[in-house]
Amino acid sequence: MSAPLDHKPTVPDMLQTDAPQPEALSQAGWLGRAITVAARVFAVCILAAMAILVTEVFLRYVFNRPTIWAHETTIFLSALTFIFGGLYCVARNTHIRVVLIYDVVRSPVRHVLDVVISIACLGASLFFAWASWLMVKKAMFRPDGSFALETSGSAWNSPAPAVLKMFLLCVLVTMSFQFLILTFNYARGTKAPKGHDNV
Amino acid sequence: MFDLLDLGLNLKALGIGWGTLLMFALLVVLLLTGTPLAMVTLFVALIFAVGWFGPNSVPLITSRVYSFVSSFVFVSVPMFVLMAAILDRSGIARDLFDAMKLVGGRLRGGVAVQTIFVAVILAAMSGIIGGEIVLLGLVALPQMLRLGYNRRLAIGVVCAGGSLGTMVPPSIVLIIYGLTANISVGDLFTAAFLPGFMLAGLYVAYVLLRSYLDPNAAPPTPVERVSFRENLPLLRGLVLPFLVVFSVLGSIYGGIASVTEASAIGVAGVIVSTILRREFSFRMLLDAALHTLATVGMIMWIGIGASALVGVYNLMGGIRFISQLITGVSDQPMMIILFMMLILFILGMFLDWVGIALLTMPIFVPIILELGYDPVWFGVLFAMNMQVSFLTPPFGPAAFYLKSVTPPDITLGEIFRSLAPFICLQVLAVGLLILFPAIAIY
Amino acid sequence: AQEFDLTFQSVDPAGNPNFAIQKEWTERVNKMSGGRIAIELLPVGAVVNYSETQEAVGSGILDGHITDVSYFSGKDPAFGLVANPIGAWSSPDEMFRFINYGGGYELMNELEEPYGLHFVGATTTGLEGFVSDRPLDGVADLKGLKVRAPEGLIQEVFAAAGAVPVNLPYSEVYTSLDKGVIDAADSTVFSTNHQQGLHKVAVHPVYPGFHSMPLVEVAMNLEKWNSMPEDLQEIMTVSVRDFAQDAVAQLSMNDLKAVAEAKADPSITVHNWPAEERAKFRTIAMDQWSKVAASSENAQKVYDLLTEYLESQGLLD
Ligand code: NA
Ligand code: NA
Repeated sequence: MSAPLDHKPTVPDMLQTDAPQPEALSQAGWLGRAITVAARVFAVCILAAMAILVTEVFLRYVFNRPTIWAHETTIFLSALTFIFGGLYCVARNTHIRVVLIYDVVRSPVRHVLDVVISIACLGASLFFAWASWLMVKKAMFRPDGSFALETSGSAWNSPAPAVLKMFLLCVLVTMSFQFLILTFNYARGTKAPKGHDNV
Repeated sequence: MFDLLDLGLNLKALGIGWGTLLMFALLVVLLLTGTPLAMVTLFVALIFAVGWFGPNSVPLITSRVYSFVSSFVFVSVPMFVLMAAILDRSGIARDLFDAMKLVGGRLRGGVAVQTIFVAVILAAMSGIIGGEIVLLGLVALPQMLRLGYNRRLAIGVVCAGGSLGTMVPPSIVLIIYGLTANISVGDLFTAAFLPGFMLAGLYVAYVLLRSYLDPNAAPPTPVERVSFRENLPLLRGLVLPFLVVFSVLGSIYGGIASVTEASAIGVAGVIVSTILRREFSFRMLLDAALHTLATVGMIMWIGIGASALVGVYNLMGGIRFISQLITGVSDQPMMIILFMMLILFILGMFLDWVGIALLTMPIFVPIILELGYDPVWFGVLFAMNMQVSFLTPPFGPAAFYLKSVTPPDITLGEIFRSLAPFICLQVLAVGLLILFPAIAIY
Repeated sequence: AQEFDLTFQSVDPAGNPNFAIQKEWTERVNKMSGGRIAIELLPVGAVVNYSETQEAVGSGILDGHITDVSYFSGKDPAFGLVANPIGAWSSPDEMFRFINYGGGYELMNELEEPYGLHFVGATTTGLEGFVSDRPLDGVADLKGLKVRAPEGLIQEVFAAAGAVPVNLPYSEVYTSLDKGVIDAADSTVFSTNHQQGLHKVAVHPVYPGFHSMPLVEVAMNLEKWNSMPEDLQEIMTVSVRDFAQDAVAQLSMNDLKAVAEAKADPSITVHNWPAEERAKFRTIAMDQWSKVAASSENAQKVYDLLTEYLESQGLLD
């Protein structure tokens, strides 16, 4: 079932703060588990972005001293979490999907669908990884081949654009691996499907 | 290998008209196989990029992905989600709901009305949908079902009410519209208040009318009557939510923070509220942040996919095609507006609002200006149309959000059936806004 | 017979007056070439983000762009310096002379060619209007002014002049001025600012602006350019020169009309800086030029050529 949010229907208790941490889909394998562990770092990025924005407002409104780095850093942190968030959803199979038909068909058909979808996603993410490598090359090297990271061009002039492009490449490569593992595990069909179709 | 791809798949020969149709068909088919939406749009974008222009055009997609994630406006998305995630982990929303008994306590259908009031307050804190529906699905839906409300009425109230986040300011839909149409976000917010309340008012009127006409729709008023004095402690539940609303909207209108910054102030406000309520812990905060990461990943990747698809479509000549299609419809400006509404309605069934905004705004806004309409009014109209898109199947985000927190016996099919009357109300609101633009631009 | 079917992306949104003028240019090119060149002009962000068009044109995804060159400062600071040498030009003609006869054309091609672009020609929006909520009559009044400025040299110049640059997206300029989050903004030309109601919320505009006149380039994919026969190349080049005059004339007519309207409005005070204050600001800006020049080989080239030219014209007093 589509599970856009990791709420369990059986946990209506609003005050329960020690709910079990969301887990990776079993078919995602070791990589899926690694991704869910790494997710904590990016969760902290969101909190940091919030803190920086509040600080910026405070510095500007109270002391009339806005920074040149706050907005650029916030955008950078948010972008990191956006990119990684997509990978995290792949590992946990929580991307929104329309299951009006998927839910109705019998489980062998569903099984085939799972494999085919994973293969298609694998192909697409490989393609995107290749394309983003072309982008990264331009962000890392000048046309004459000398090394220079693309910068933001702002007064602060951080190398955020180059770093983000490299991060996108890393995530796309990891995502390709993740889809490869998913395809393999779905095709083997050894583990009982868990995640989207059991809610 | 790329030459082979070029030969085997020359979509350009189709022309833009058939190309558009094929793109749509492909979207629908892939969507129905159960492929994640973000992947569907990315995949279709890839097929058309390679098939229309050749593999060398694929960096266009990654370039759009990069630009999309690094735009300042979207910084508010994780903030709004984080706010909802913390609210969800504290008792604030439940106390707010209890306090609202004062509003609907004595009425037939009162709890449903109360739910809509809570939804409006939550909407004034947040700029996106999702969090509100989940909260109401956890707090209000079980209560309405227990009290014997008609199931479909209860589900509809939660989904429609919970979607108000992008209609009542602050609203990320209006922020993005302002950016595309190059008009003041402040003006858009001011214009959206009344239409937002009007839509909520329509929901309330519908609930009251249904409960009055149909004895099975809502239970009779409870016998247990509480005095106002007993209710007084409940009122405390209103204080913190109103402070958060005040800190978000107050910092925007008070000149303290920009719209995006205000969303971070809202998060700070909610965190302070949990500290005051002694519900704060770092564990809770990290948990909420992790949850935010997952939700944001899902929301943003839908946007990423849509953005990629729109880029490819525009390069194919989509802008010219749709402009000609629209201006060719009629000489009557009103017919053109209605045709635009129809396009928005149809797109709303298959795409999320980010994709619709990216695709249609650069086309619609110049036409609107040329016809002499007010772009602020059209912005509010656009936001109202997006309300409809949240509820319409097969891709109805509101239904998906609710489904994620309801017991398994409530199927997606039943949720969509429950939403039908509310979709009609939304369409009615769109109609009213077209007939009486003064609702927005007074 | 149509030989070149080109897709260009503009830096302006479809509803903007600049976009309409650019569109007229594409139509003129079509006529002048007897239909052999057809340019489809797409609004900002249609295919790629405004900051990514250089890459898209270079790799052939787009055939060309019309854009502010300062958006590529992150690739090489030289682009930032040549695009907006703050204080250098007091009228569009001075800049056009530098580009067309002062070595600017060759310099731009030397900068763009390695990225796979051919520089066809330059235009500009003209001197931008400066939007402020505080009366500004000279450099001293900039002290402590919270000013929204886009990325690049301009922020550093403002900082050096004692102002406090704030990073805000264009979409938030109006609200932020209205609510006093910022005092002033480097927005765009006077007429557009006026039309958007910025002068209603910030009633002390400075016109003509003292700060900014962007170099807006028309550039094409280099391979595509080289594949064009000479007559078509000439049509492109010459038509862009005319387009620049056209754009500047129409925009400044709009500006003057808007200035007259603003002056007639008792709630708005239009300020004009005396020559010596403009010169002071230029001196501050030029200190920053040399800093940028030191940051890359190309930037130094830009700096050298620019100062040499300005000196030869007696503009460096
Ligand atoms: Na809202
Ligand atoms: Na929908």
